[in-house]
Amino acid sequence: MSYFNVEKKVKEVKTALNESVDFSYRYFKRGNQKLAFIYLKSIIDGQLFSSAVYFPLQTFEGELSIDKLKNDILKAIDIKEVKEMDIIKEVLDGRVVVVTNFSKKLLSIDLLKFPTRAPTEPPTSPVIQGPREGFVEDMQTNITLLRRRLKSKDLVIDVLRVGSQTQTKVCITYLKGIANKKIVKEVTDKIKKIKTDGVLDSYNILVYLENRPESLFKQVGNTEKPDIVTSKLLEGKVAVIVDNSPIVLTIPFIFIEDLQNSNDYYTNHHYSSFVRVIRLLGLLIALIAPGFYLALQLYHYNILPLNFLITIADTTQGLPFTPFLEILFIFLLFQILYEVSLRLPSYLGLATSVVGALILGDTGVKAGLISPPGVIIVALSKIALYTIPEQAPQITVLQLLFIVLGGSLGLIGLISGLVYIINYLNNYDSFCTPYLAPYSPRIPQDLKDAILVDPIYFQRYRPKSFSPEKKERV
Amino acid sequence: MNKINVRQTGVIIVMCIFANKILLMPSLMYEQTSADSIFVLITLFLLDLAMLPIFIWLKNSYPDKKFYDILKDKLGVVITKIIYLALLCFFFFKCLLVFSITYVYFKQQIYHNEFIFMALIAFLPVINHAVLCGVRTFARTIQLFFGIVIAGFIICLIISLFTPIAAPYFFVSNASQFFSSLYNHVFSFGDFIILFLIMDRIEIKKGQAKHLYFYSLFAMFLVVTLFYLFYAKYQITAFMHNNALADLLVFSVQFNAIGRLDIIAMLTIMFITLFQMEIFNYAFCDCFVNIFPLLNKNYSVVVFDVLFCILYYVFIGRYETMVTSTLFWLPYLAIVINYILPLVMVLILIIRRRGEKKNKSNL
Repeated sequence: MSYFNVEKKVKEVKTALNESVDFSYRYFKRGNQKLAFIYLKSIIDGQLFSSAVYFPLQTFEGELSIDKLKNDILKAIDIKEVKEMDIIKEVLDGRVVVVTNFSKKLLSIDLLKFPTRAPTEPPTSPVIQGPREGFVEDMQTNITLLRRRLKSKDLVIDVLRVGSQTQTKVCITYLKGIANKKIVKEVTDKIKKIKTDGVLDSYNILVYLENRPESLFKQVGNTEKPDIVTSKLLEGKVAVIVDNSPIVLTIPFIFIEDLQNSNDYYTNHHYSSFVRVIRLLGLLIALIAPGFYLALQLYHYNILPLNFLITIADTTQGLPFTPFLEILFIFLLFQILYEVSLRLPSYLGLATSVVGALILGDTGVKAGLISPPGVIIVALSKIALYTIPEQAPQITVLQLLFIVLGGSLGLIGLISGLVYIINYLNNYDSFCTPYLAPYSPRIPQDLKDAILVDPIYFQRYRPKSFSPEKKERV
Repeated sequence: MNKINVRQTGVIIVMCIFANKILLMPSLMYEQTSADSIFVLITLFLLDLAMLPIFIWLKNSYPDKKFYDILKDKLGVVITKIIYLALLCFFFFKCLLVFSITYVYFKQQIYHNEFIFMALIAFLPVINHAVLCGVRTFARTIQLFFGIVIAGFIICLIISLFTPIAAPYFFVSNASQFFSSLYNHVFSFGDFIILFLIMDRIEIKKGQAKHLYFYSLFAMFLVVTLFYLFYAKYQITAFMHNNALADLLVFSVQFNAIGRLDIIAMLTIMFITLFQMEIFNYAFCDCFVNIFPLLNKNYSVVVFDVLFCILYYVFIGRYETMVTSTLFWLPYLAIVINYILPLVMVLILIIRRRGEKKNKSNL
């Protein structure tokens, strides 16, 4: 009894795939028994196909059956039965589909292979001590990196497909019994509801996960390091791994996370606390230094020490700009130089830095366009910005806001702006988690790993902010 | 789940307690009762503190009920609306008073001849936003800045010790002056009334009420210390200084070497004023939406802004008139709200308890 017309089926698939150039098939015939292997040659491992599929089949003697093929003949690791309607999906996933004329069952063999890079240290999170591995674009590798660190039966990895055209695999990963079920459900629901034709990077998913997509502030965590994701999963968070992206998303996210760095956990806790305070200080300097300088210069000059006031008066005398315009000009100059240095090739980037630092800075001062204190203040704020590189885009926008507030309303403007922002951040909870926890609201238990860090043996409980199901870390 | 915990309630009380008491009140009081003003202050604080057990009793009796609904059930809609109108005026004028005093200070220190609405342009959007976000949001914000504010306050107190101070002379005023001062300054008190308005938003777990006493007593201690140091520093000229906290730092010569330290007082006052205005504006808007249930919070914010700008414009040129009003006219309103209203609540609670006892005995 013939179940499939093998040639016809191959032709159907070929037509469905628009006779794609990488579409390929091979027939195998023994007596009346005929089978076809259908695949895309661009994304399967040809050598493995020969050694694990075709060669064992050729050397097999006896009558073929689908069960024999599945259990004895084919040597691939992952072989499964699929339905007829899933042939296209399986082929697009880099699997080889086996169609036979002696069974109504179809087999799908995982032989996916495409160029991948080895896990290397991510450029965005270098460490002095601790693991250096980073995620890569291949989701399977990323899951392996996680599995290697979390040998737990409770590690759940759910796969969803997003994007009508790209059919990108999106993994929702969490520790069952630790992660809050409500958060897992909310994340799953949000991803299921995504209606788009393509997902090219995890950022495309991130925007759908945010409760306030219009907001300037980051609401979903992201990292390139498997040790960080493991630690976050252990805290009770949910991780979202997107195929073709080395950046893994973590949910919920709180502001303090960006002050933390993986280095902090592999060094003395006193030193970790110290550097976190420095980062916080850096954040404040980056945020308000130019605005504060303007406010002092325009409204509160009597507060400045006399010698400094004289220096400012001397250097700003004869400038063509008002203090406000001067700071704004220097700010924009720095921002332009930054954007240029990012996009230019490295050999030209060096030249731009020299031109920026020497020509524009020094000559600008000598030409009487800008003042040295102004350059120093803006440069300081720009350098301080990179104590927390993850927050750099947000802080850059806020710097501009604080320059306007400081220049127009003085200290009152700065304080009002600061309180407004804090009010705004306090008003939204990211996945049932207060954004400014554990300081606002104050959660004493979570202060053990906030700005100041306690030794790891004092951190017996998971952060209360993320409402984990299991509170104790044992 | 938009409730605030007992610590957040505590920081709100602290901000309310500071209010005008750290700005103009020390010098105004000194004019009447010299250094004995400290006794006036303590008496008024004790009267205020008596409101706290009443609030806790009421909260325990009606855990999730709104203050408006309790009054409506017991006194009827009309009387409740009148009470809420009085509360609305009370908080509005408190807000206006605090801001105007701060503005006069800012004008002298910062803005000089700038546009008179400068500070208001900075403050109003922030307090409006806070009110629209709700009590939980600004309570969290105040909690975040609480440490900074208290540190600023204490630093001001400590720096004042670096100038020659001498113990002020006490017991120089007579009973009439004492009671007259009690009456005149009553409007600057009644800080616990805010708790009644937000009682349905507060979550007090068993045994946590003591935190409210702690926060209140802590704030009162700081204010009394400020009064003492202020009088000890300025002695008979104390009535001339219209911003106690900032003036504490003046003449601290040892610290002038590192620049003017007024900035500490200035920043502390900015934060405190902003938070107080958020609280008072919230109270105003809460009263407004209860009086006019068809209008939502957005309308109440607009009404507040318009009224505030008009009255601020009218009064800022007549600063003396405004201060006089708080001393002579507004105390009538304050007495009703600070003392008569809590007494009414006590009566309501006693009647409720008797009713419960009666029901139990019938059973």
